Amino acid sequence: MSQLRDRAEREIGPRLIVAASTVTAPARAAAGARRLAGRSGRVELYFGFDEPTSAFAVIDLAQRLHGRKVIFDLLPVVERGIEDDPALERKRVYRIADGRRLGRRIGLTLSRSEPIDPQQTAFLAAWVAAAPRGAALTRFCVAACRRLWFESDGPLDEGRYEELWRECFGSAPVADGAAVRANEQQMTSRGPYETPSAWIGGRWFFAHDRSAQIADWLDELGWTVK
Amino acid sequence: MAEPRVDYFYSFRSPYSYLSGPRGFALADNFQIDLRFRGVIPMMMRGESVPTAKRLHTMRDVKREADRLGMPFGRIHDPLGEGATRTLAVSEYAIDVGRVREFVLTAAQAIWAEATDPATDEGLRLICEKAGLEWEGCHAALSDPAIADRVEANTLELTQIGHWGVPVFVFEGEQFWGQDRIDDLALLLDDAGLSRH
Repeated sequence: MSQLRDRAEREIGPRLIVAASTVTAPARAAAGARRLAGRSGRVELYFGFDEPTSAFAVIDLAQRLHGRKVIFDLLPVVERGIEDDPALERKRVYRIADGRRLGRRIGLTLSRSEPIDPQQTAFLAAWVAAAPRGAALTRFCVAACRRLWFESDGPLDEGRYEELWRECFGSAPVADGAAVRANEQQMTSRGPYETPSAWIGGRWFFAHDRSAQIADWLDELGWTVK
Repeated sequence: MAEPRVDYFYSFRSPYSYLSGPRGFALADNFQIDLRFRGVIPMMMRGESVPTAKRLHTMRDVKREADRLGMPFGRIHDPLGEGATRTLAVSEYAIDVGRVREFVLTAAQAIWAEATDPATDEGLRLICEKAGLEWEGCHAALSDPAIADRVEANTLELTQIGHWGVPVFVFEGEQFWGQDRIDDLALLLDDAGLSRH
């Protein structure tokens, strides 16, 4: 019995997971049905303003989704990560070095050398979570991520981000912390445990690492660049 | 003059390490570096837990990456425990006889794409001989305390440099975590004027 269990854990289980992950027909059919109904595809991006890897994902994905009939659903979170992760602080520090390399890929130079405490950018998450989806929100998030990680250093000036918000929306931001919590719960229910992560047609990807996979999956679902 | 050193921390239980193998070892072909293979004990054997969501995502993500890289993946035999320990021991022996690249690439493919069990003599011997190693030497390495100490030292060093996962490449103190950061390391090596071409 224990031999059978051992084989199930070491071979059969992992193989089944891998095999099931290659089944794409239901997702392709659902995407086709959306198109027939005249609807758009959807890319949900769970991200944190406090990390450069998320900033890269927001900027990079906004560019890559251009020309595809998909809604870019920007879903900021504050609390996330593996519970009691012993490497939490080391990961935050490492993301600075990683963010520098990612920035280089898109021609940007990281302007910060220290991590930002997630609570310091929580106000941005609360504004964005409360706002309607669309071009103005994408414009704000891209500009805010650039400013935060590639154009500034030191403490955050909330007033400057409020000005930016008014430039994008023509009105003052409204904060909704409960909407951020809802994003965090939705992210967990989808499967991702860390950010930035993209949920597309039933699959999720680490958005800063898998640009090529995301593009391939959107193509496979029929959300191609027009 | 000695070539600059690049340490390559690797676990046979990590499918991302498997994906990194061909491109990781090829760095030494393309750049004037001293690439040092550093096999480490798997996270779960170091008392660290891996959440279910992470385990599931890893399998799915690695399959997609393997397809993109043209590498076989899916006929798995998880080597957690004896399989990992034995493979690590032989990898140290393979370093000593100059066949570490051949052994690591062969063993990782056997584990992640051919469901070979390195915890058995039959499975491990198949891997060793395919990699051009003679079995007697490999078998002796399994019970050599000096070899076990080297693996422990590698694992300890990964912790001491402040890292938590694999694969990790370290060049002049800078860490590159993940098979998807090899291109970034190559850029840095190129910037440092170490390209062979």
